Amino acid sequence: MSATLFVQQLINGISLGSLYALIAIGYTMVYGILRLINFAHGDLLMVAAYAALYGMLLFSLPWFISFPLAIIATGAIGILLDRAAYKPLRQAPRISLLISAIGASFLMENLALVLIGGVPKAFHRPNCFSHVIIIGGLHIPVLTIYSPLVTLLLVLGLLYIVFKTRAGKAMRAASRDFEATRLMGIDLDRIIALTFLLGSSLAAASGIMWAMKYPQINPFMGVLPGLKAFIAAVLGGIGNIVGAVLGGFLLGLFEILIVALLPDLAEYRDAFAFLLLIGVLLFRPTGIMGEPFIE
Amino acid sequence: MNPLFQMRHVTKEFGGITAVNDFSITLERGELAGLIGPNGAGKTTVFNIITGVLRPTVGDLTWKAESIAQLPSHLITARGIARTFQNIKLFADMSVLENVMVSCHHSIRSSFWAAMLGLTKHRKEEERIREHSLRYLEEAGLSELAFEKAQNLPYGLQRKLEIARALATEPGMLLLDEPAAGMNPMEKMELAAFIRRIRETREITIFLIEHDMKFVMNLCERIRVMNYGKSIGEGTPDEVRSNPQVISAYLGGTATYAQG
Amino acid sequence: MGNSFYLPRPKAAANPAGGPTAGLKRWLNAALFFLLFGVLFLFSHYGSGYQVRILNNIAIFITLAVSYNLINGVCGLLHLGPNGFIAIGAYTSALLAMSPAEKNLNFILSNVIWPLNVIQVPFAVSLIAAGAMAALFAFLISFPVLRVRGDYLAIVTLGFGEVVRVVCNGAQSVTNGPLGIKGLYPHTNLWWSWGVAALSVVVIQRLINSNYGLAMKAIREDETAARAMGVDPFRRLMLGFLISAFFSGIAGGLLAHLITTISPGLFTFLLTFNLLIMIVVGGLGSTTGAILGAALFAWGGEALRVVEQPMQIGPLTIPGIPGMRMVIFSLVLLLVILFARKGIMGRRELSWDFLFSKLAGSRRAKTPS
Ligand SMILES: Nc1ncnc2c1ncn2[C@@H]1O[C@H](COP(=O)(O)OP(=O)(O)OP(=O)(O)O)[C@@H](O)[C@H]1O
Ligand SMILES: [Mg+2]
Repeated sequence: MSATLFVQQLINGISLGSLYALIAIGYTMVYGILRLINFAHGDLLMVAAYAALYGMLLFSLPWFISFPLAIIATGAIGILLDRAAYKPLRQAPRISLLISAIGASFLMENLALVLIGGVPKAFHRPNCFSHVIIIGGLHIPVLTIYSPLVTLLLVLGLLYIVFKTRAGKAMRAASRDFEATRLMGIDLDRIIALTFLLGSSLAAASGIMWAMKYPQINPFMGVLPGLKAFIAAVLGGIGNIVGAVLGGFLLGLFEILIVALLPDLAEYRDAFAFLLLIGVLLFRPTGIMGEPFIE
Repeated sequence: MNPLFQMRHVTKEFGGITAVNDFSITLERGELAGLIGPNGAGKTTVFNIITGVLRPTVGDLTWKAESIAQLPSHLITARGIARTFQNIKLFADMSVLENVMVSCHHSIRSSFWAAMLGLTKHRKEEERIREHSLRYLEEAGLSELAFEKAQNLPYGLQRKLEIARALATEPGMLLLDEPAAGMNPMEKMELAAFIRRIRETREITIFLIEHDMKFVMNLCERIRVMNYGKSIGEGTPDEVRSNPQVISAYLGGTATYAQG
Repeated sequence: MGNSFYLPRPKAAANPAGGPTAGLKRWLNAALFFLLFGVLFLFSHYGSGYQVRILNNIAIFITLAVSYNLINGVCGLLHLGPNGFIAIGAYTSALLAMSPAEKNLNFILSNVIWPLNVIQVPFAVSLIAAGAMAALFAFLISFPVLRVRGDYLAIVTLGFGEVVRVVCNGAQSVTNGPLGIKGLYPHTNLWWSWGVAALSVVVIQRLINSNYGLAMKAIREDETAARAMGVDPFRRLMLGFLISAFFSGIAGGLLAHLITTISPGLFTFLLTFNLLIMIVVGGLGSTTGAILGAALFAWGGEALRVVEQPMQIGPLTIPGIPGMRMVIFSLVLLLVILFARKGIMGRRELSWDFLFSKLAGSRRAKTPS
């Protein structure tokens, strides 16, 4: 492989990784507080992509209005998801909560299927995201550059909220010790809602960028990115936001590079992430940034 | 001869906290010993280390001259150390009898093939386990409740069932973590009698944690005191009662001693 | 001790000692099998093709749901990869039972590898091989899988199912890739499907009722306590895993020879989702519940086809809504888990003891004592 091609793949990997990173944050935040894999989280990508598309198509909104609206709407759906499917089960056995999450995920996918149809829809990429920059043999679509930048900005914003605001501090306290935080008189329902709002909004941003990157959208588009982002979250150390971001970038790079280096195995691309997960769980279950496990 | 059980210079750290700090103890066959100390002293952690629930950060444990520091929990039980839990850990949705029957699992002699095929050999084995378990329920006075769900038992009986369940593993040493917690004085007296009877009817070592000083002082022949993970004294109930270090660890706890 | 303040209620219902004798139970079981035999005989001679298909579906779903319940309900692990085991069983059985000539017809893009290109075994042998192959994979993955619990176990097993599907898609010379395998001989009939269903129910139920099953339930209830009572969770859970995979593999083989065409798309997570609905609706932890759930699902799945077909109500034509069935299924799962978490049976079983105690109970209620 030539040096140019390698750099090209590196850039592609970082770009894909940034999308995983944004999704992984939502998993990690929800897991941190509720100790739940939010199976329906990936489907929020799909919700956001359709919302953004229909905002542009049906209401003829320009993208810079349609996209933020889609993000807000998806955030709201994230909160709704928690209220409807998870909140009633706070005291229930964990297995019930997970089953509920799986049910919610299937419901969202199939509702979308019924309402919109299973035929993939073309996502209208705004012109300003369609340019390709050519630098000495490298073909870089601007989107590939924008997505890590947007991710970086959003993550900085999130870190500010989590580490500098009162709500963020309460959130961190809840993820360390849920019961103690409740006893301290903090309204946990509001903290949980905020967690879902933030996580879902970031997933929405990722979903819109995903739809621009792979501009054919369908009701099941969120499933695989969702699963992989979860793996990224585990890789980085679940419960740790910075870890999730790191895990996302690593997974993106890992996937692109393995396909680039071993093209014969390209068909098995989707299996690698899971093998990586098994490897991490076997050898370092706490992930890269995770703290030593305390029972 | 080697002592039955020995714990040498064991330290356990959780992140920054040193829950157990250079703790050593030796227990002989047939002894009835107590472990006391203020909340958070590290008593339960000592039990967790002995039973393999936690691994010591430093130090060694030997049982019948064999090191058990690295053995998994279920093998330690099979070697002959059984325990109860401070926060009751019964198999809530199973019957009282089934709770005890689980304890016989490690001694089952028929294979799962025999179980699945319903062979006579297996049926006899099930019958043996059942009768064995019923005897333990009888001893604990729980036979009438054999088919009740464990979670429906009142608190005091749940504690007793935990002891019966631990005994059914046929241990050489029994660890009881706050067996009298939440009991009324009547129940405590009966429990003390029950524990004495257990010790008298078999050659078994009993090591128990308890906050109720009167209970421990009356029951145990030897008492170990710990605070902040460290051993701060040991002796007969009288010696411990007059140990200044122990008294200062239990600031304000003197009233309880006076009664003992 | 405390007995003075707690007067035990007499609980004849829960006490097996009060039930029918072992001899009577054996007769009743024999009668039940005879009844099943008669019903199958009638349907296999006089039933319509549609009825036979539904009955076959029910039987295969029963096998799958009962073995899935062993892990999810009895051992208490959320295992999300049965689709992987079913796929392994289906492909194993299909590739072994098919004649080399037909295999060559199927494999257009690349030749089928040795020894599959020369081998053909009887259907029964292929089913056993299907179960054994699934169990072998269960054994291999249980090492990483059983090191984790809870959500992690769920996602790792889900990953296993995905990996199996991806490999089925990619390994052209073994599975014929996305094209799948067509033209299997329809070996599966009512006798095979119900025979396997009955066998799996009996064997798994015996296991659950034995001390081995007790140990599995103990792990589900409290793993630390189970360990402290001398139970080795790894070995017991592995046992459950192997048995469950074995029967799932056989059911996969039956499924392949029922629908006669298999492809990787058949064994997606959707299959696992359907099984999950069955055991949750039936009641996690109950074999009876799994059987009921499987039957309900097979029947309900057919009944719900109407919502996807155009409907004629008087002069009005309501167009069918494709995908509506899955919406209803997901809603059912959500509603059951949110509002009726125990499903139909909870963890109870319908047994002779239970029936007799009910009978005795109602009789006692009638005669004043
Ligand atoms: N699994 C664990 N992870 C982290 N810290 C722990 C763990 N178990 C115990 N600790 C800490 O170790 C210390 C000792 O706890 P331990 O439960 O042994 O005390 P104890 O003497 O049994 O107290 P009590 O009388 O309240 O039962 C405490 O500070 C506790 O918070
Ligand atoms: Mg304690």
